[in-house]
Amino acid sequence: MARWGMAADLDRCNGCGGCVVACHAENNISTVGPEQASRGRAKHWIRVERYWEGDFPDVKLKFRPTMCQQCGNAPCEPVCPTYASHHTEDGLNAQVYNRCIGTRYCANACPYNARFFDFFNPSWEKPLQLQLNPDVSLREVGVMEKCTFCVQRIRGTQTTAKTEGREIRDGEIQPACVQACSTRALVFGDLEDRESEVSRLSRSPRGSKLLEDVGTRPAVTYLARLTEEA
Amino acid sequence: MTHPTGSQINRDLLHPLFNTSWRFYLLVAIFGGIVLFGLATWFTQTVNGYGVTGIRWPVYWGFYVTSFVFWIGISHAGTLISAILRLVNAGWRRPVTRCAEVITAFALIIGALFPIIHLGRPWLAFWMFPYPSERLIWPNFRSPLVWDFFAINTYLTGSLLFLYLPIIPDFAIVRDKSTGLRRKIYGALALGWRGTPKQWHRLETAMQIMAIAIIPVAVSVHTIVSFDFSMAPVPTWNTTIFGPYFVAGAIFSGIAGLLIAMAVLRKFLHLEAYLHPLHFENLGKLMLVMALLWGYFVFNERLVTYYGNEPAEMSVYWRTQSGTFAPLFWTMVICNFVLPLILMGIRRFRTITGCVIASIGVVIGMWLERFLIIVPALGHKYLPYSYGIYRPTPPEIIVASSTFAAMALLYVLFAKVVPIISIWELKAGEHPSPELLPPATEEHRLGDLHL
Amino acid sequence: MDRRSFIKLTAVSGTSAALASCGNPENQFIRFLPDEDIVPGVAVWKPSICPLCAAGCGLTVRVMDADAEVTRDGQAGIKRIAAAKKLEGAPAHPVNRGGLCARGHAAIQVTYHPDRITQPLKRSGDRGTGQYEAISWEDALAEVVSRLNGVDAANPRAVAFLSRVGAGHRSALIQQFAGHFGGSPISFELFGDDVLRRANAVSFGRDQLPTVDLANARFVLSFGADFLGTWNSPVAQSAAYGDMRRGRPGIRGSFAQVEARMSQTGASADEWVPARPGTEGVLALGLAHVIMAASLQPAAAAGRAGSMVAGWGAGLSDYTPQRVEELTGVPAARVDRLARQFAELRPAVAIAGGAALAHSNGLFTAMAVNALNALVGSVDQPGGLSFTPQFNTGSALKFSPAAQPATPLQMLAADALSGAAVPQVAFVDGVNPVFTTPRAWRVREALEKVPYIVSFGSFLDETSALADIILPDHSFLESWVEAVPESGVAAAVASVAAPVMRPLYATRATPDVLLEIGRGLQRPLGAAWQTFDEMLGASFATLPSTTPDVDAWTDAQTKGLWSGVLPAGLARQAQAVADGATYAFEAPRFDGDAKQFPFHFLPYPSVPFGDGSTAHLPWLQEMPDPLTSAMWSSWVEINPTTAANMGISDGDVLEVASGHGSVRAGAVISPGIAPDVIAMPMGQGHTMFTRYATGRGANPAEILAPVTEAATGALAWAATRVRVTRIGPPDGSLVLFAGGIREHLEQEHR
Repeated sequence: MARWGMAADLDRCNGCGGCVVACHAENNISTVGPEQASRGRAKHWIRVERYWEGDFPDVKLKFRPTMCQQCGNAPCEPVCPTYASHHTEDGLNAQVYNRCIGTRYCANACPYNARFFDFFNPSWEKPLQLQLNPDVSLREVGVMEKCTFCVQRIRGTQTTAKTEGREIRDGEIQPACVQACSTRALVFGDLEDRESEVSRLSRSPRGSKLLEDVGTRPAVTYLARLTEEA
Repeated sequence: MTHPTGSQINRDLLHPLFNTSWRFYLLVAIFGGIVLFGLATWFTQTVNGYGVTGIRWPVYWGFYVTSFVFWIGISHAGTLISAILRLVNAGWRRPVTRCAEVITAFALIIGALFPIIHLGRPWLAFWMFPYPSERLIWPNFRSPLVWDFFAINTYLTGSLLFLYLPIIPDFAIVRDKSTGLRRKIYGALALGWRGTPKQWHRLETAMQIMAIAIIPVAVSVHTIVSFDFSMAPVPTWNTTIFGPYFVAGAIFSGIAGLLIAMAVLRKFLHLEAYLHPLHFENLGKLMLVMALLWGYFVFNERLVTYYGNEPAEMSVYWRTQSGTFAPLFWTMVICNFVLPLILMGIRRFRTITGCVIASIGVVIGMWLERFLIIVPALGHKYLPYSYGIYRPTPPEIIVASSTFAAMALLYVLFAKVVPIISIWELKAGEHPSPELLPPATEEHRLGDLHL
Repeated sequence: MDRRSFIKLTAVSGTSAALASCGNPENQFIRFLPDEDIVPGVAVWKPSICPLCAAGCGLTVRVMDADAEVTRDGQAGIKRIAAAKKLEGAPAHPVNRGGLCARGHAAIQVTYHPDRITQPLKRSGDRGTGQYEAISWEDALAEVVSRLNGVDAANPRAVAFLSRVGAGHRSALIQQFAGHFGGSPISFELFGDDVLRRANAVSFGRDQLPTVDLANARFVLSFGADFLGTWNSPVAQSAAYGDMRRGRPGIRGSFAQVEARMSQTGASADEWVPARPGTEGVLALGLAHVIMAASLQPAAAAGRAGSMVAGWGAGLSDYTPQRVEELTGVPAARVDRLARQFAELRPAVAIAGGAALAHSNGLFTAMAVNALNALVGSVDQPGGLSFTPQFNTGSALKFSPAAQPATPLQMLAADALSGAAVPQVAFVDGVNPVFTTPRAWRVREALEKVPYIVSFGSFLDETSALADIILPDHSFLESWVEAVPESGVAAAVASVAAPVMRPLYATRATPDVLLEIGRGLQRPLGAAWQTFDEMLGASFATLPSTTPDVDAWTDAQTKGLWSGVLPAGLARQAQAVADGATYAFEAPRFDGDAKQFPFHFLPYPSVPFGDGSTAHLPWLQEMPDPLTSAMWSSWVEINPTTAANMGISDGDVLEVASGHGSVRAGAVISPGIAPDVIAMPMGQGHTMFTRYATGRGANPAEILAPVTEAATGALAWAATRVRVTRIGPPDGSLVLFAGGIREHLEQEHR
């Protein structure tokens, strides 16, 4: 059984935001408009966090693409009273929208604030709905949604590989953000496979997990932006 | 100090049941109107979407969960206090217990509504219940919300029984004094009470068992409510002190709620002869103890966080201590600690008015305490990019406030149909043994404080 | 019956059964006419090309069935169509190599935009009010043809064609069309690169943007070029940037950015060097001075590019580190260190672009950076600058070259206003000069003087709302698209793609419309092709095939591009510009008195919107800006110390006023901006541009001074001075996604 993981090389990431829009396009994430956005309702399953360091003129900026870390020990899972948030066999933190009753406890428990709530029924002004991806279910008002590692692509590729009677090739599955990334900062694959690129990168000495001390055992490894060779 | 006689007791305490003044209708209309308005607001929230509230990324809990914890806290007044006082056989408890127990029942019902009110999809609330669905999906027993469900239900069932048992003889009194439909209804409610020694004995035994059993339940309920927070890896939430801290806070706010209710009843139902300043003073002393205990817990919680110096926790710490939420924090400290300490600590101020002022302060302070536990931490959770500030919107404020009217409405209606002071217990004085049946003429004496 | 037709039949009979009892009969009727060859639920991928900037990234479009309200043969109804579902970067495309930027992903919303113009429109109200009535294509084209037949054939400025910069076939056709009336298409881009093209023509004989081999560079020094965000070919440059950092075992390229306001690119730099606006060229020559003084350059260096800089032969004695420090504000020691890094970490490459060239002395700055590159031998070398061989579509199509150079837009406007030369007919294709030009140029007033304006726009914007007739173009997914990238790749590339889906509305492809108008004229255009795809076929047929046994045209359609070695005669020729002049630093000229207007004003291309042409796409409006996290809004960036001195807090409404006007927006206090600089992103402030962009934020172009670069006449958009006034507390118009701006607590509380 695979354990899906991602590596995000902060030395490659330039903060362009291509992943953010790619995610909206792939996952049928509705835009909420300026009024709701100003009330904190914008949904970005992946966001590029930016942090300033230092003061003018010795100022630096850090970018960090942040999405659901698909934790091995996910705080969102035990707290859900209805199992809407649960762990799949291949290590994903699945969110079953139809099972969600909207306690929002999972989002509170998530140290990464990776979960977004549908405050209203998502809508698309015609004919923007023609773009919707039929592989991804639409969410209704009152449910929690979040990054799935593009599980529809994972399952699609698994089915294809099974029909063709072969193993999934490394790099064959690309979530939308990984596919979009111009600098190849994001790499996705199977962490169980020692030879896969993501697994190799995850073992890099530059690698670390986000909020490692919270004990969530994330599946995403961040590779530090180091100026010295590493 | 006057001590009403048996017939006087009957006349005074049964008066509201048999006589309806225009004031009753006015109160019902006012409170009922507010409650209906709140219901309508909640209905529009459900129809239009949860977005009408101020809840936002990442502060997903706000007024509703604050109110939930607050009302569950208030509910600890009654049953717990009454049970303790019964067990220690404090004679002064007699006029107080029922007012208190009623608060528990209603506050629990109202509190238990909030988890449903706050749901994104409230029409699916029944998925939290363990029912054998055809898909064989049970609720997640690891979730503190499911524990809440069981804890609150247990406590509610226990409290209703605890409330109901000692009303039975009073129902019988009403039955005996009324005719027609009323007689039938109260007759049914009185469960065939005849006042035989055997019945008295069984009632006393049941009350003893309930009084003992309800205490651990009450303690566990608020501990489990505190688990909603302390089980999550949110800065300042994940702490072992939350269990006792919440229980103490609950009793504290419960006493305040009880004092307010007693003062209002005394005033409007003219129960000056039954609810004496002594009762207020004794409860006031209890509140003073709880204020000190509360202060001790807050001091502990703050100091340990400060010395722990964990970056994420310190961010929340400073936000409440000196940042955005500092005005609320210091208001809370004044309301919960300074005010009760002065008013309840100085004998001169420990009057009915003093008690009421302090109690109102404590109710406000305890509401703020829950708000300050929930909101600042959620808004400052680890990654500063995702910090956010929650501001409540009118719909939430209306729904949350209308539950106070709901409490008042339920209380008014209850006082209309049930003697709000236990008639037989009052008559029994400090000799509640079934062998010593309360003679109707025995002069009621207030017991000494046996605490 | 094969599987595909079985599934189709099942789907059709299933839906017909389901719908038999409901709905409008016309809709049902039209729905059951098989329209597309698509299997429900099965995705196919088709090539296309991103139209939103000049980079020309290749797309792979995911196409699946969807029920759409469409117009077919003049009849509207619901139909199951093959609809584009998602745009993805084409993995094999040499420009973007599978990557795609935020704008590229959002391009699909151009096609599905709710405010798209769905059929030809004729103006029914006053100009600019946006009141139009429907008109048939036949009537509309007849009207345009009759107007064109009436223009004065002897006046080369009788027809003005405002269009985008480009080297593709569409541009060639527009060039030919405009040339037919004696003129040249007029293109204006606010953040255009005319200065750099001119500098490259002078320094290297290539009138073109450079391709930077970042992937092999060890040190990159960028003077103002936002090459990872908005400048030149950002996706290609980002891909190479990734490799520059981590693509070579054991080698990590370093990178420093010189600019007064930290851009998205500057944010990725190892070292950010704020230099005084307009002095970037001095810094470049200062580096050259240090390198020459220490003899760190390779033996045969600089050559022609160096000789164009005054004082080069004498070792640039005017540009000592001390002097550079005085002029630029960059400490002398840092100049020395940067110079040594640049000379020693080879291959090193310097890039100039953006605000650095948008001053009155922009050409000097570009020349200085070119000379610096030449000094360390970074031209046409791995890890350095090179120039992409570019397919000359004009010569492939045997078009005659432009009769005369294009009239600059500001001259067109000035002459129209003065009455010296008022165009009789103006065409507008893909540009919005009313929005992107300084208010001081009065382009709107000038266009109002033009008696007849034709727009090909898909949306009503500030410029197309002035049009008398609108002939809406297909979206790029509905039409033949092509691109001939100017840079971003090593080898020559010509991209082409067939329509991905059938048009949703009664629109027509603009090149086809131009060809049709050309045929209808009294003096016909004389093009040999009926349609644009025929024209593309003819052009690609001149290219050598890169696949055995397949002709170049068929091959290109399958792959979405042609790439290879251009035969002689089909490549754009290098053109040496020898004006004999040498370039020396002249202090940049700023509009506005430094006392009255204490701040430099820096408008900059927004990452999602560029110059504002993509502000109508909701995904881009809601995408948080990379640096400020702002969504759906405009803002003013200001240094924290300056803000503190002026009593300005985050979100306060500020008024930014120049000698030419004022705009208002919320304050964003940003550590990455010099204390004497005020920056504002372009993009918002549209007065008319669909429901998503209209009336949102402020347009900084409105207050720009009409200062131009001295040698090229290009707008010096960074040469305006402004003053800033706090108007009041936050008014809620500034929407930020992020909370905190710093990661560590101690910085907030101590």
